[in-house]
Amino acid sequence: MPKRTDIHSVLIIGAGPIIIGQACEFDYSGTQACKALREEGYRVILVNSNPATIMTDPEFAERTYIEPITPECVEKIIVREKAEMARMGATGKLVLLPTLGGQTALNTAMTLHRQGVLEKHGIEMIGAKAEAITKGEDRETFKQLMLTIGLDVPISGTAHTIQEARQVAERIGRYPLIIRPGFTLGGTGGGIAYNREEFEEIAKRGIDLSPVSEILVEESLLGWKEYEMEVMRDRADNCVIICSIENFDPMGVHTGDSITVAPIQTLTDKEYQIMRDASFAVIRAVGVETGGSNIQFSVNPENGRMIVIEMNPRVSRSSALASKATGFPIAKIAAKLAVGYLLDEIRNDITRETPASFEPTIDYVVTKIPRFAFEKFPQADPTLTTQMKSVGEAMAIGRTFKESFQKCLRSLEIGRSGLGGDGKPWRIGAEMIDDRAIFPRELINRRLSVPNAERVFFLRHAFRAGYSLEDVFQLTKIDRWFLIQIEELVKFEEELAALKN
Amino acid sequence: MNAELLARAKSLGFSDRQIAHLTGTTEDALRAERKALGLIPSYRLVDTCAAEFEAYTPYYYSTYDRGDDEVTKTDTKKVMILGGGPNRIGQGIEFDYCCVHAAFALKADGFETIMVNSNPETVSTDYDTSDKLFFEPLTLEDVLHIYEREGCWGAIAQFGGQTPLNLALGLKKNGVNIIGTSPESIEIAEDRKLFSAMLDRLNIPQPKNGMATNEEEALTAAHNLSYPVLVRPSFVLGGRAMQIVYTDAELSHYMKFAVEASPERPVLVDKFLEDATEVDVDCIADVGNFPNPADGTVVIGAMLEHIEFAGVHSGDAAMVLPPHTLSQEVIATIRKYTHAMARELLVSGLMNVQYAVKGTTVYVLEVNPRASRTVPFVSKAIGFPLAKLAAQVMAGKSLKELGFTAEVWPKYWAVKESVFPFNRFPGQDIILSPEMRSTGEVMGLDADLGVAYAKAQMAANSPLPLKGRVFISVGDLHKGDVAAVAKSFADLGFELVSTNGTATVLEKAGLKVQRVFKLNEGARPNAVDLLKNKELQLVINTPSGASPRADEVKIRTTAVMTGTPIMTTLSGAKAAALGIAALQKHGYAVKTIQEYH
Repeated sequence: MPKRTDIHSVLIIGAGPIIIGQACEFDYSGTQACKALREEGYRVILVNSNPATIMTDPEFAERTYIEPITPECVEKIIVREKAEMARMGATGKLVLLPTLGGQTALNTAMTLHRQGVLEKHGIEMIGAKAEAITKGEDRETFKQLMLTIGLDVPISGTAHTIQEARQVAERIGRYPLIIRPGFTLGGTGGGIAYNREEFEEIAKRGIDLSPVSEILVEESLLGWKEYEMEVMRDRADNCVIICSIENFDPMGVHTGDSITVAPIQTLTDKEYQIMRDASFAVIRAVGVETGGSNIQFSVNPENGRMIVIEMNPRVSRSSALASKATGFPIAKIAAKLAVGYLLDEIRNDITRETPASFEPTIDYVVTKIPRFAFEKFPQADPTLTTQMKSVGEAMAIGRTFKESFQKCLRSLEIGRSGLGGDGKPWRIGAEMIDDRAIFPRELINRRLSVPNAERVFFLRHAFRAGYSLEDVFQLTKIDRWFLIQIEELVKFEEELAALKN
Repeated sequence: MNAELLARAKSLGFSDRQIAHLTGTTEDALRAERKALGLIPSYRLVDTCAAEFEAYTPYYYSTYDRGDDEVTKTDTKKVMILGGGPNRIGQGIEFDYCCVHAAFALKADGFETIMVNSNPETVSTDYDTSDKLFFEPLTLEDVLHIYEREGCWGAIAQFGGQTPLNLALGLKKNGVNIIGTSPESIEIAEDRKLFSAMLDRLNIPQPKNGMATNEEEALTAAHNLSYPVLVRPSFVLGGRAMQIVYTDAELSHYMKFAVEASPERPVLVDKFLEDATEVDVDCIADVGNFPNPADGTVVIGAMLEHIEFAGVHSGDAAMVLPPHTLSQEVIATIRKYTHAMARELLVSGLMNVQYAVKGTTVYVLEVNPRASRTVPFVSKAIGFPLAKLAAQVMAGKSLKELGFTAEVWPKYWAVKESVFPFNRFPGQDIILSPEMRSTGEVMGLDADLGVAYAKAQMAANSPLPLKGRVFISVGDLHKGDVAAVAKSFADLGFELVSTNGTATVLEKAGLKVQRVFKLNEGARPNAVDLLKNKELQLVINTPSGASPRADEVKIRTTAVMTGTPIMTTLSGAKAAALGIAALQKHGYAVKTIQEYH
C-alpha cells in the first residue's frame, strides 16, 4: 500500500520540558518523525514548549509552535492551522500524530479526543487510534484483554478511592503490594508497600496524582526477571521485533532505573520464541495498527511462569535505546507506517538492500546504565522503586557482556573508570573507604538487599569480601548468569592486582 | 607487563586507568606500553544485520575482540565533536543541541564530522546527524583512540558541557588540536587567581572574595567579607554543593560535612550580593582567529535578566529576554565588560558571562568561554543559530564572513522557566538555591511580557489561576514588600489567605485576609488541609530563614504533591500577578516561530 494522499498536513505533539521519565529521547523521535514526514512531502506542524530541542529548530517543520502543550493551546493551533490550510486552498486533511511525544503528547491527544475537540474539527489521529490507546493504557481493560488472548497477568485490581484500594488489597491477600497510578509518567506516585501503613500512604498519593484518580493494586512480582520487547506493526498486520531487552535488576525497580542489556541474555531460544509470539499477540489484540510499541514481560525464575506487565502503545524511552542498540530507526519508520506505508515497502537506510520488515540481528552486547542525581536531593529516599528516579543514562556496546558493561560504567560520568580497582575511594555517607578495602558485611547486606544506585558496585564489594554466588543471588535475585560475569571480573581484578608485588 | 594478560584485561573491558592502578603504573605509561604491543581496539559496525549485508551508515563501536576493523577509510578533513555523555542535572539536552548544530554546520562547510557520545537518548547519537558516529565512553583513553585512528584535524570540546571540557587539557597534551578558544583561556576563566588578575587588569568589578582550605580559614575569610557569603568547591558543576551562608555555625557545618577542602581543592568564599539582579549573557566572538585580536568581532547573542534575585542557580532561575528592568546605562556597561573579556580571553566560539547588578554597579560572577545552557533558548528567541555560527567560527570562518556582526533585540518577549523533579522526591524542600536542581526548561513567547510569563508557567505544567484564593506566608525578610504583592492579587479579584504573622502585615496595609492556622499551632483547618482539599489556587511562600522550619517545608511539598502552583520568591509572585492580569484582560493567542522571525 502506498502512502496516503488524502493527508495535507500532520500535526506532531512534542513532549515538552525534560522531566524524569521523559527526557530527550522524545526530541530524538520527534526530530526523526519531522524529517521522515517532510521527506514524504507532507506539511509538518509542530508544537513543543521546549526550546532546547532540535525538533523546534525552524527548519524541521513548516510551522513550529513553541507554545504550551495543553489541550486548550493545541485546539487554538488546530483552529489556526485549519484556517491557514483553507487560505492555502489545501484539499487534503489535517491529521494528528500523538505517538512520538511520550506520555505528554498521548495524554493531550486523548483529552482532546474525550472532549470531542478532534471530532468537532474533523481531525483524525494517526499512528494509534483512541480505542487502541485506551486498551493499552487503561490497566484494567488491558488486563482483561490479555486474559482473553490466553496470556497471564498479575492478580490485581483498580481502585478510585482508598476504600476500593483496601478491598483489592484484601482480595490479593498478601504483602508486598505494588501500586501503580493510571496515566502518569514513569510511574509518578507509584511504589511498593510492605505493610498496611505504607499501603495507605502510597495508595492515597497515587489516587491524588493520577489525572483520572485511578490506581492499580497488584500482586508483587518482586525478584522475578523482567524483559522488554520493542515491536512494530503495519496496516497489513506484518509484525517485527526490533529488539529484545533484559533487565539486569529484577522486578521492583522501574525499567528506567534498571541496568538493561540487549539482546536478552538468559532465556533459552524456546522461551524467547514464546515471548516473541506473545508480543505479536499483544500488539494485535490492542490494535495498534501502525507503529511501535513497547511490551514488558516478567518471568518467574522458579517455574518459568510468564506474565505480561504492561504495554506502551507509542514510541518510548526503550524505543530510543532499541534504535541506538540495533541501528534501526524506530521513530522514523513509525512515522512512515502512520501515513500508510508497509514495513516491506520501507528501505533500511543502513543496508540499502533489506526492507524494514527484516528483524534486526545483532552480533554484540549492549548495556544501558541509569545515571542518578540523589546528591541534589539529600532529604529524599534513595531507594529504587517502581517510580523512576534516574535523570539520564549511558549506553555502551561491546562484543561480550563484560566488555560492554565496564565500558558503560566508565561512561556514567561519576568519576569511575569501570567496576572498581581504579583507585577512586568510595563515599559511604560521610565516610570515605579505600577502593580496595574490604567492606563490612552488614553494609554489603543492606546495600544488596535494598535496590539503590550503588548496588552494582556492591556486587563487587560482596565478591571481594568472600560472598558466594548463592549468597549474592539470595540477597539480590539478580540472575546467576549476570552474577557469574561480575564474579569473573572481580577474580580478574585480583589477578591484575597480584602483579603489583 | 605480560602481553597476553593485558590483552585479556582489555577484552574484559578494563580501562587503562583500572589496569594502571591495579598493577602500580600510570595510565600514560600503560597506554604507551599497550601501543608498543600493538594492542589497540578495532571498530565494528552497528548494522542491524550482524554483517550479513553491507552497511552504508557509519555507526561504530570499539572492541578488543580481535578481528577486522570495519571503519571505511576517508581522507576528507575531519573534525571530532565531543558529546556530553549521560544527562544529569546541570548537563542536559542543551549541550546535545549544540553538538548537533556543530555537526550540521561543519558538514555543510565540507568537513567530515565525527561524533563521539555515550547517551542513547539524544539526536547527536542518531546515525545521520554526523558523517561518522562512535558510540563510545567520553574518556581520554577512548577518545584518543578514535582521534588517532581517524587522523582528525581538530576536536570541539566547548559544546558538550563539562564532560569534554574536563578532557580538553589532557587531549591537548596528547597532541589533539582543540579548536576554538584555547584550553589555556578556559583555564584562566576557571582558576580563581588568574581570573581575578584578569578582571583587575580590565578594571571590571567582582564581588569581594577569598579562598579557604580548612574551616578556620573559611571563618576568617567570611569575617573579612562579612556575611552573607556564597561558598562552593572550586571544581563546581551545576552548582554542586554551592550554598549561601549567613552565620559562623552554618559555615562550620558546611566545611565539616558538605565539602572536602584541601590545598589542591580550596573552597571559594564570595561576598553574596543580596537583592542583586542577575543577568546571563551569551556572546559569540572570532577574536581568537586573528593574529591581532583587535581585528576580531564580538557579538552579544542576548542578555537574559533573571526574575529571581541573586542566589538562585542560573539553570533554575526564570529569565526574561530582552531584559525588562535594566537601564540603558547598565546594559551599556554589560556590553562593554563582555566585549573586553571576550577580547582578553581570545575567544573563538561562544562565551557565557553571569553578572550581578546592584544599583548601577555591574559585578562579574562567572565567565565560561564555551557553549552554555541558554544557547538554544537564545537562538530560538533571536532567530539566529548561535551554535552553528560558533562551530563555523571555530573551524576558521570570521563573523564578518558569516554575516553576523550586529546584536539582535527582539520586539517581543521570551521567558524561560525551569521545571523541577520535586514530585519524584517527596519530602524534599523546593526552595531554589545556588545548587541547580531543575531537569528541563520551557519557553513562553509573546508580544506582552505578562502573557509570555503566563505561557511559560502553563508550559511548565504550573498554569496560573485566573481566580480563586491565594495563600500568602512569607519570612520576616520579605514582610516589608509583601503587602504590595498581596494587593495586586486582591486587585485581580483573588481572596487572600494567610497565617498569623503575614496576615497582620496585610491587615495593617488595609487588605482583607482570611486567617488559617499554622501547622505547629495544632488547630485545624491549617494551610495543608486547604491545599489537600484544593481550596487554594496559588501559594506564595518564601523561606523564613536559612534553615527553613519543618512546617513551611510541609506546606511547600504539599503544594507540589497536590499540583498547586507555588511561588517561593516575591519576584516570582510579582511576575505571576503580571501574567494573571494579562490573561484576564485579553487571554492569549498562539503564533509560530517562523512568523516571529
